[in-house]
Amino acid sequence: MSNIILGRYIDGDSIIHRMDSRAKLILSLYFIVIVFLCNNWQTYALLGIFTLACVLLSKIKMSFFIKGIRPLIGLILITVLLQLFFTSGGTVYWQWGPFKLTSFGIINSIYIFCRIVLIVVMSTLLTVTTTPLEIADGLESLMAPLRKIKVPVDEIALMISIALRFVPTLMDETQKIINAQRARGVNFGEGNLFKQAKMLIPILIPLFVNSIKRAEDLAVAMEARGYQGGPNRTKYRQQHWHLADTVGIVVFLALTGGLMLLRG
Amino acid sequence: MLDPRQKLRRNTLLALFGTIVIVQNLVPVLGNIPIGPLSITLIHITVIVAAIVLGPVQGMTVGGIWGMITFIRAFIWPTSPLAVICFTNPLISVLPRILVGTVAGYGFLWLKRHFSIRKSMVVAAMAGSMTNTLLVLGQIYLFYHNQAPRLYAVDVRQLLPYLLGVVGTNGIPEMLLAAVTVPLIATALLKVLKKHA
Repeated sequence: MSNIILGRYIDGDSIIHRMDSRAKLILSLYFIVIVFLCNNWQTYALLGIFTLACVLLSKIKMSFFIKGIRPLIGLILITVLLQLFFTSGGTVYWQWGPFKLTSFGIINSIYIFCRIVLIVVMSTLLTVTTTPLEIADGLESLMAPLRKIKVPVDEIALMISIALRFVPTLMDETQKIINAQRARGVNFGEGNLFKQAKMLIPILIPLFVNSIKRAEDLAVAMEARGYQGGPNRTKYRQQHWHLADTVGIVVFLALTGGLMLLRG
Repeated sequence: MLDPRQKLRRNTLLALFGTIVIVQNLVPVLGNIPIGPLSITLIHITVIVAAIVLGPVQGMTVGGIWGMITFIRAFIWPTSPLAVICFTNPLISVLPRILVGTVAGYGFLWLKRHFSIRKSMVVAAMAGSMTNTLLVLGQIYLFYHNQAPRLYAVDVRQLLPYLLGVVGTNGIPEMLLAAVTVPLIATALLKVLKKHA
């Protein structure tokens, strides 16, 4: 459980930490879109340098990002190998049955590899420099225009905040339940599928029951504090749009321009 | 219309079910059972339980949360090579998951009128689970059997046998798993909810 990097916030004081969460959310999304603009090595090099610059700006250790990618390496390699051996087109170097090694295949698999790594690094950067509550606030204010088409934005934002708040609590609780059942002699992760499934029941039922009780208690406590819902509430955490956010958007627009120019 | 108190209670319950889905994504022990290179998901169980215990609309919401997480994960933290190619399409990642809640929830309500609660739960769980498998793989076939060579340059002549293989290795165990676990969990939860209401 401890090797999960994505979704963990690391305190720091850098330009990227201080940026507005709305700006970071928009820019991360936008980054995923412009990665798909890349189609030759110059464009990938440009984006690679840009990503590296962002990582350096965040003042978070590089080893941290490498640790984040490590659990994904096996998966990325399978994807790359699939691309490598099942792509047709270009010069054929080697062939055996349905497997073939072609120039298109090699180039395609390198591009796919770069694309996944760039996206993983950028999204890790977002979650590492932004607290879950900031992300929830950012999502809420980005969704605000949807109020006009009767989307219950306040309710959705409330649920996102509650859900994010209780992720660590529920994870601890799961660990406790697993240990408690272990002490009673349940062996997890052993045996065939149905043996494993049978062992899940003594974890899942207490987990669900505890969650329901927690939800009911929470609802009662919120009501007792005068929570009535609706959009007419004031906010404790205010969001501020800084100069850095505007600069960030300008930089991204310039980057898009550069990609369009270099695109083959 | 719900009064504010019931609405708040419903929202906190939904949020906690959403938390369970997130935790299942973060903790591998709870989210899937690996068998060799494949892994069987357990998240559909949470969605079906929500649909049966809380109601169809709530099941659809929890299913939607699952779908959104699958969709986002396909970009930033993929679960399988197939996810990188297919789950980046929201029609494949989000829609089937919402429909799991719909089928299980409304199916249970309809079946309840004709059969015992336990039997209805088993059938609704199996139907919900199958909805997911068939819709995901069906749409992959629909979208990629002639598009993929152009989009991703992957040779997909072997796609149909491969997808049918996935139905056999993942879809059927997932369905049986749901059929066994859902009634046990749902019965326990219905008791708890009745005590609190």
